[in-house]
Amino acid sequence: MAAIAENTSKAGARRRLIKLDKTQMMLMLFLTLVGIFMILPLFYIFNHALKPYSELFLYPPRIFVQQPTLTNFSEFFSLLKDSTIPASRYLFNSIVVAGLGTVSVVIVSALAAYPLSKHPFPGSKLLFSAIVISLMFVPEALQIPRYIVVAQLGIMDTYVGHILPHVAAPVSVFLVKQFMDQVPNDLIEAAKIDGAREFTVFMRIVIPVVMPSIATSSILTFQDIWNDTSTSTLFMQNDAMKTFPYYLSTLTNNLANSVARQGAVAAASLILFLPTLIIFLTFQRKVIATMAHSGIK
Amino acid sequence: MIGKLIGKRKLKINTWRKLEGALFLSPWIFGFFAFMVFPIGFSLYMSFNQVRIVPDGLDIQYRGVTYYKQILFENGSILYNNLIPFLQEALIMIPIIVIFALLVAIMLNYNFSGRWLFRTIFFLPVIFSTGAIIQEFYDQGEGTLGFLEQYNLADYVSMVLPSSWSGPIIRIMNSFVLILWYSGVQILLFLAGRQTISATVYEAARIDGASPWESFWKITLPGMIPFIFLNLIYTVVDLFTFPRNPIMQKVTTSDYGKSSALVWIYFVIILLFLGLVMLVFRRVNKTYQQTR
Repeated sequence: MAAIAENTSKAGARRRLIKLDKTQMMLMLFLTLVGIFMILPLFYIFNHALKPYSELFLYPPRIFVQQPTLTNFSEFFSLLKDSTIPASRYLFNSIVVAGLGTVSVVIVSALAAYPLSKHPFPGSKLLFSAIVISLMFVPEALQIPRYIVVAQLGIMDTYVGHILPHVAAPVSVFLVKQFMDQVPNDLIEAAKIDGAREFTVFMRIVIPVVMPSIATSSILTFQDIWNDTSTSTLFMQNDAMKTFPYYLSTLTNNLANSVARQGAVAAASLILFLPTLIIFLTFQRKVIATMAHSGIK
Repeated sequence: MIGKLIGKRKLKINTWRKLEGALFLSPWIFGFFAFMVFPIGFSLYMSFNQVRIVPDGLDIQYRGVTYYKQILFENGSILYNNLIPFLQEALIMIPIIVIFALLVAIMLNYNFSGRWLFRTIFFLPVIFSTGAIIQEFYDQGEGTLGFLEQYNLADYVSMVLPSSWSGPIIRIMNSFVLILWYSGVQILLFLAGRQTISATVYEAARIDGASPWESFWKITLPGMIPFIFLNLIYTVVDLFTFPRNPIMQKVTTSDYGKSSALVWIYFVIILLFLGLVMLVFRRVNKTYQQTR
């Protein structure tokens, strides 16, 4: 920050231009230094999957692999072949659950956030405090009661049973609502005077403006649902309805020694990580891009 | 007559509007009550009972406040031993995370070549933070800074500060990189929030001769206050419900009643802590508004 302030002193226009380049350099330098730390885990995942057994258990651990090998992947795929239910079934379940789940969470949360932010009704403040408070509650403690609810609703062993518990997530409602608060009321009023219906206002004005928060909560929700094994453990008794991460966790859980199959696990965690990375790379640009077109000046 | 008619119509529009609002909310409300409100209530009920899973359902026996008594007064190893260092750590980490995220977000908002690459890199922790990857890193002792050991900073800190505080501070210094990784979502939120301040305001300020330093304090910071608040809450939630945190690890599935009691005590502590954070934020914000 100091560098930016510095460049403004009494400098002339030309000097300012040159100095700005200096500021840029400082900025780049700082961001690169911190950025290296930020990107380390990514390198780690990729390298870890390529490590031979002799390197997997090195202490102190190394981030970069010395002798890359693909044996971990072949071990992983041979494990998949032994499975009674084809692994593709688990993968299919996961894709359906995470895809549908993310879409429905985002739609439902945006719909709920709109009246909470722009159409205060009696009790809306109370409801919003309830959301914030429920954010604080330790989710692990809710497993048994949730099991009761799922059993009562009769959605055990269905995709709905995977998705519905996530739809209640207060995080995305909270995020989207906070961003909707920043949408100027004039903009909404203007649209209404022009004869726009509530739903049109919502779809054409509010949603485009809060797109950054929707992209953010999409990323968060997707990885949350994708990595979640609790719905498979608790609500799915039929093995064919369980998800890929659950299946991967069973690979090592039942083994007596923790060394066996670690290579396969390293490969699996890379494979498990890739969809999150792809979703992240597609959505993160949206976080910044859309505001420019929203018409707010 | 006409006034009455208009009044009636207005009423109708108002009810219709409210109905529309309810329509927007209804799918989420259902989920919220079924999967949050009821389960939270039920866990309160469980905390007063001994709960066991038997083949034909749940076996529930009333225990009163025994579990609460045990945790609060009798056995310090359940809660207090972990809670106090953790709270100290959180108290230091929260401002660091929020300020760091704010500064990085503002930097990432400047126009320079390769900006998109930096943005992608700095958002990356978003997808690590919940996963097992960070856990693994932590276990293996990565994420510590080598140079801290070189300069014996730890010794210096423990000399200057009372021992009850030097412990948490040294731990935080050791896991500095971890703090960077905690701030992915916060950076993302700040950068998204930064977009709500339009460029024309800055242009106008520049024409009026304001320096970037001034426009940071007079435009950027006030505009970011709602998002600082948002990130404060997010950080508190994130830290306190992180699966790695020492109290969360005490929530076991073997004894549901006791776990529920622990969760409820912890829940109240989190709420108090959040209340404290909000109070401090309000104070700071108020003095800031006055000096502006």
